[in-house]
Amino acid sequence: MMTKTFALPLLLALVGGCAQAPYWTLTDNDNRVLKSTSFEMTVPAGWTRTTTADTWEQVKVDDKPQTLLLEQVTASRDGVSLHAITVTRRYPDTAFPTLKKKTNASMQPLEVADLYVSELRKRYGLERLRVLSNKPSQINGKQGFELTMEFKNDDGLRIRIVSNGFVDKTGFYTINYRAPVLYYYDRDYADYAKLVRSFRQSKGAFDPPPEIPGWAKLFT
Amino acid sequence: MKRLLGLFFLSLLVSGCATTGDVTAFKDANDTSKIQEGEGRLWHEASGYDTTIERSGQIYEDRRATAYLQGVMDRLYPEFKGKIHVHLYDSTQLNAFALPNGSIYFNIGLLARIGSEAQLAAVLGHEAAHFVEKHSFRQRVSAKNASAFAVSGIPFASLAAVSSISGFSRDLEREADMKGYARLVKAGYDPHEAHKAFEQLAKEVKALGIQEPYFFSSHPQLVERIDTFKELAARQKSGGRVGAEEYNAVVQPIRLEALRKDLGQDRYKSVILVMEDANLRRYYPAAGYYYLGEAYIRRDEKNDSQKALQAFQTAEKLAPNYAPTYKGLGMHYMKAGNKVRAREYFSKYLTLASKDAGDRAYVQQYISSLK
Repeated sequence: MMTKTFALPLLLALVGGCAQAPYWTLTDNDNRVLKSTSFEMTVPAGWTRTTTADTWEQVKVDDKPQTLLLEQVTASRDGVSLHAITVTRRYPDTAFPTLKKKTNASMQPLEVADLYVSELRKRYGLERLRVLSNKPSQINGKQGFELTMEFKNDDGLRIRIVSNGFVDKTGFYTINYRAPVLYYYDRDYADYAKLVRSFRQSKGAFDPPPEIPGWAKLFT
Repeated sequence: MKRLLGLFFLSLLVSGCATTGDVTAFKDANDTSKIQEGEGRLWHEASGYDTTIERSGQIYEDRRATAYLQGVMDRLYPEFKGKIHVHLYDSTQLNAFALPNGSIYFNIGLLARIGSEAQLAAVLGHEAAHFVEKHSFRQRVSAKNASAFAVSGIPFASLAAVSSISGFSRDLEREADMKGYARLVKAGYDPHEAHKAFEQLAKEVKALGIQEPYFFSSHPQLVERIDTFKELAARQKSGGRVGAEEYNAVVQPIRLEALRKDLGQDRYKSVILVMEDANLRRYYPAAGYYYLGEAYIRRDEKNDSQKALQAFQTAEKLAPNYAPTYKGLGMHYMKAGNKVRAREYFSKYLTLASKDAGDRAYVQQYISSLK
């Protein structure tokens, strides 16, 4: 019992030390292209961005935590708790984890958008997410959707999310911008639109998916 | 008979507890201003929770329905008029809850499922009894609960522990049943309606395997409650107000909205359960068949595509002006490769849908691609 008590904190300390925590960098004119395995884009000057992609997330499916593979990068100008652009690639088999739905390349953008809204509404705090508009869009030449959604937080602050997304045989891609309607959303929407236009898929998108890091599974 | 005698003695015991010690039930609206020591904090927390609910957009805005529910409550508890406030809560879960300050929240999901004013009165009577009998305060003064909520860091967790958000002890629930039932009879409602609301809930809880710790989903308790109401009603003459027509006139639009929200949150099983049940379906507008079709598509089991088509066709026949049905039919025929019919249905959708329909642009795109 005593050995276990000591072993657990030691293991956690070791694992914590090994974990590659994403770190932030401020973009300037020489440092604006954000490359990840599957995609790259140009981050607006003056924004901070993560330098490496997150490769997994923990999601509660039927109240049980699960560790799922993904690829995610984030950019923000004033701090992620205030507003952020998040670019995510989910793999076909786990594209809508709480709905337990997969994607396939033949799905219509409207179907994908409807599933995505349902998936978001299953997440904490987004149960009453309202769809303000849902229209077709093109991302990197692919047919997709542009959803504009809104919710109120516990303080009554209206938070808006705009999401451009598409599906292909390599998975489900979303480029989200989330900000309070008050002041921030309109101020930075143009930067977001530029980032969406700069989005390109990389050859790495067609590589086989990586393994979930062993230590990440400890959290499930 | 044994059960009734048992309940009678239990009720005496429980109400005995209510009047012993420091906690006494409210007598009327004036009495609510004489809050006992320690009770003020509970009311303050409840007011904070009211504010959070309102600010964060969790109130379902329907003035007509809210006024109707308030009217039923005032009929049940006339001496508390102006002190018990009924709100519609924007959630499709089958629940209703009372806060210690007299705020009663009624989920639109529960409202959609019940079939008459008398059934509504059975639920409202129960919830208001929690407030009048000060069940929250009584639960809080017990040392066991006090230590339980003291360690929790969840916002409003302490309030949840002592309000009907998460259910009271079995004895207090029984007392609320008895007091609520007495109010129902006194207000002139048909006592034979009371158990019907709970019967439907029990059926749904069982069919969907709901395990959330909500009061109405606690299955053994629900079964016991149904038996109790049946036995109590058996001792009463039939008759009294049912109010099915009035109720359904008010709730009909909310039912369709509840189906839409259920589907939007991927509760397609619930939509299928409701719309496949002839007894429940009769309360729903015919346009509900459109949501049944969409629910089959979400479920995506064997033959569901065909079932979806049949549901859309029924919606087309019974509610020919409901635009979304034509989008559903258009999508079906587009996937089946029938371009002519797909175009025809998509065009009809565009004719009937409002100019600002969110998915108009997609449908226009589909029509172009089908030429």
